[in-house]
Amino acid sequence: MKKNIILFLLIAAAAAAFVLFADIQSVDEYYLSHIDDIKEGDPTVFLTIRCDTVLDNYDKLRQALRSPEYVPEDGVILARTEYVLRDGDTVFDILERAARHNRIQLEHHGTAAVYIKSINHLYEFDCGPLSGWIYKVNGGFPSGDCSSYVLSDKDEVEWVYTCDLGQDVGRGYTEEAAP
Amino acid sequence: MDIFQIENLSFAYPESARPALDGVSLSVAAGDFVVVCGQTGCGKTTLLRMLKRELAPHGQKSGRILYCGRDLSALGDREAACDIGFVLQNPESQTVTDKVWHELSFGLESAGLPTSEIRRRVAEMASYFGIESWFRRDTDSLSGGQKQLLSLASVMVMQPKVLILDEPTSQLDPIAASDFIATLQKLNRELGLTILLSEHRLEDVFPAADRVLMLQNGRVLLYEKPHAVAEKLRGIDAAHPMQSALPSACRVFAGLGGQGPCPVTVKEGRRFLSDTCVSAPAAPQPEKSVDSGRVAVRLSDVWFRYERDLPDVLRGLSLEARSGEIFCILGGNGAGKTTALGVLAGLLRPYRGHVLPGGKRRGGRKKDGCCGQRAALLPQDVQTVFVMDTVRKDLGEACAAMGCDRQRAEAMVADICERLGVSHLLDKHPYDLSGGEQQKCALAKLLITEPEILLLDEPTKGIDAFAKRSLTALLRSLADTGVAVVAVTHDVEFAAVVADRCALFFDGQLVSEGAPRDFFSGNSFYTTAANRMARHLYPWAVTCEDVIECGGRNRRVKP
Amino acid sequence: MKAFACYHPAVLMLYFVAVLAIAMFCWHPVLLALSLAGSALFYFTLAPARVFLRESAFLALLAVAVTAANPLFSHGGATPLFFINGNAVTLEAIRYGLALSVMLAGVVLWFRAYGLVMNTDKFLYLFGRALPALSLVLSMAMRFIPLFRRQMKRVGDTQRAMGLYREESLPDRARFGMRVFSAMVTWALENAVETADSMKARGYGLAGRSHFSLFTFSGYDAVMLAAIAVLTGVFAAGAAAGGADFSYYPRTVQLSLSAASLAVYAAFGALCFLPAFIEIKEKIKWTYFKSKI
Repeated sequence: MKKNIILFLLIAAAAAAFVLFADIQSVDEYYLSHIDDIKEGDPTVFLTIRCDTVLDNYDKLRQALRSPEYVPEDGVILARTEYVLRDGDTVFDILERAARHNRIQLEHHGTAAVYIKSINHLYEFDCGPLSGWIYKVNGGFPSGDCSSYVLSDKDEVEWVYTCDLGQDVGRGYTEEAAP
Repeated sequence: MDIFQIENLSFAYPESARPALDGVSLSVAAGDFVVVCGQTGCGKTTLLRMLKRELAPHGQKSGRILYCGRDLSALGDREAACDIGFVLQNPESQTVTDKVWHELSFGLESAGLPTSEIRRRVAEMASYFGIESWFRRDTDSLSGGQKQLLSLASVMVMQPKVLILDEPTSQLDPIAASDFIATLQKLNRELGLTILLSEHRLEDVFPAADRVLMLQNGRVLLYEKPHAVAEKLRGIDAAHPMQSALPSACRVFAGLGGQGPCPVTVKEGRRFLSDTCVSAPAAPQPEKSVDSGRVAVRLSDVWFRYERDLPDVLRGLSLEARSGEIFCILGGNGAGKTTALGVLAGLLRPYRGHVLPGGKRRGGRKKDGCCGQRAALLPQDVQTVFVMDTVRKDLGEACAAMGCDRQRAEAMVADICERLGVSHLLDKHPYDLSGGEQQKCALAKLLITEPEILLLDEPTKGIDAFAKRSLTALLRSLADTGVAVVAVTHDVEFAAVVADRCALFFDGQLVSEGAPRDFFSGNSFYTTAANRMARHLYPWAVTCEDVIECGGRNRRVKP
Repeated sequence: MKAFACYHPAVLMLYFVAVLAIAMFCWHPVLLALSLAGSALFYFTLAPARVFLRESAFLALLAVAVTAANPLFSHGGATPLFFINGNAVTLEAIRYGLALSVMLAGVVLWFRAYGLVMNTDKFLYLFGRALPALSLVLSMAMRFIPLFRRQMKRVGDTQRAMGLYREESLPDRARFGMRVFSAMVTWALENAVETADSMKARGYGLAGRSHFSLFTFSGYDAVMLAAIAVLTGVFAAGAAAGGADFSYYPRTVQLSLSAASLAVYAAFGALCFLPAFIEIKEKIKWTYFKSKI
């Protein structure tokens, strides 16, 4: 009997821990993020999110996504926008802040090494087996995950959807890191 | 022509110093019913298996076996499989498929017969054995006796010329066993089928046999007609251990120094006694006073049933088990004796009535049954007691559960093994032991828990006469240390020898109770063979020893 | 009397294969609902009420668990309700979870019904001719399951009677179960050796094993077979025309009422309710006849 009680307490503790430590926010809370105003002298970066390669491969796109809501006519989900760069911000931090501010759906995976699974409901493999999201900084493709690349002032960040493992957006088999 | 001719057959298992068979030579005539007997380890099973090619063990073999004049190894596969039938010991594991009809057709399917032929043979065999009423049932729902009969039928459906059976009745209760032997006799008489049967219970089987083959240490001790066996055995060794395994009539004959053909059945034994001895005035031996020891547990008006819609199994059962006493409960199959043991052990809770440990009502919570750790139950299937891979580990586990430290545990194990004589078996796997050895080791494990009440469910199932004797001695010594022993058994002979008190279980309660002598002499049918033989002269004589003693003192004086 | 179970094994097998194939691979909510309704009704006519209730309770619990768990793993819906750790719990994910649990419940009940209707000899009859070895293995497996269950109970009872194990708490019970289980494994192996001997003794292993069974194919079976084939055909045609398509992410599509869809709903619905209908018809027939006496 005693051991039963201990077992139940453990389960209850686990459940309590989950509730307490998981970050639960309502929809409005999540999207309600005040975007920093750009002041003189602030370090900034530019973010673009594009999926124009999908338009070239429209027949491979999953049936349910064939609508301008998910794949805009011009292939631009977020036009080039300037955002304030806070200290220590990584590519992921900027993306997340921008997505929240613009109410763009974002699904990511992992905490130490973040992997972007979808932006604006476009998931990997939704446009053929070689499709997915890939990021560029200043025209080059950094190796490593987006949460480990710390940005500097005036960096150009682009998130592009590739239907070809990177080939169609200019990534060769051996790529060099951004200068 | 002889069906089997065995010429100087020797066989040794690999890695075994002693040969299992040593220069066995004999021949089996067609149509003979041969009974093979001997002490455990004498080579019966090895010999029988060597006669069936598919089951022959691997090892070093020398000598020849001829089947109908041809070497056994030269037979075609199909012929070897179909012509020689083999029935194994355990009805549960022998059944292969899940439906009766499928089991019957199994052998014929293997032989590749067409459907119409199979249908015909199966129909014929099922009718002959009276299986039609359970033809479509699951094999799982059959009783032990039915399963063994099914195994026999499924071998017979292949129309063999010779049937070999390895202890087929050891797992069956006496009634199913004698039905089975009767069926074998019928097959032998009506079809002229040659039968080789190995058995421990010779009482039923001697009358049916044409020849008896007795083995010892892998050698042929004797191969005679049943009537000549007792004398021949006496000639070899007057105090041979196998004497006590022979039927009661033979033992009485030998004990009274009879000459000529030995009686084998109770009928013949009666006639012999009438010719040799006279009746004596009813002067029973002074009764060993039923020791009124302390009551270890009392059942008072206990009623039990397994489920609400099922009939009652125990109906107002009242019994007492006393310390230092061996109490035997006898009764037919399915009467509920095992259930009664379950209630005594605290496994089953009666819905009415009381289970009173120490004979008195006990207050407080009833946890793990009413007797809790004070009772130990040895089940019918002794193997279920073992959960580890050596006997030592099992005993160690029992010690651990008792909360002993290493030193005390070792001392206890050593002590108990000494008392039961199983020290040499400690490092073996429990499944490698013989029936009697397994039983002793299981008892050792139970005794470590130091029970006050020892419950035994069919302790004589599947063990031979010698194991029975050592069990008797063991139970006696346990009772002398103050343990209350309650044994449930079918074996009337065993109860007559070991019990201090016997009772008959019928219709959910105990209907008669008393010291063995009073109990058995009061019954006409449910009594030992010796008693049935000598009833008309010495109604109080219950064991063979009793009859021999009385007969010896009251010989008929020849005019 | 189990009316549906009296049909020829081939008919039964075809039926279950067709229904399960559709139920497991289609995501359309109407189809899944039909599958669950049909299987539940059929199972209700087969199993005793107590068993049915127990099964339903279990499946309801499973449904709740799956529906609650799916949103935690799948964030692809377009209608977020709230956010956990930065990922959305969406309405579409809940709907998908619900659909998944309905699918699972339906499939479980179909399998249960299969177990009650299709016993081993029927299964063996179908595969015996083609794969005699496999069919024998299955027959033996069916033999051994109740045997092992019984032996397990016996071992459990003996060990409990010895009083060496305390069974008050869950971890103790788990340990006790493990002990019994490991003893069972050894026992099972020993038992298997003896069974193998019994088989060898009766000639198992000889070349040219034949097959024996008790079934015949009749007119009723032909009619039923045709019915199943026709319904499946209509379904396939409708599905090819897109009648069975449905997606939940990112937005759940509307239920379509096009010709293809209606054909698909009707065909599959008929298929699912077929056995239940047969059972109920049989019950009515018997009651009617009895009342006439």
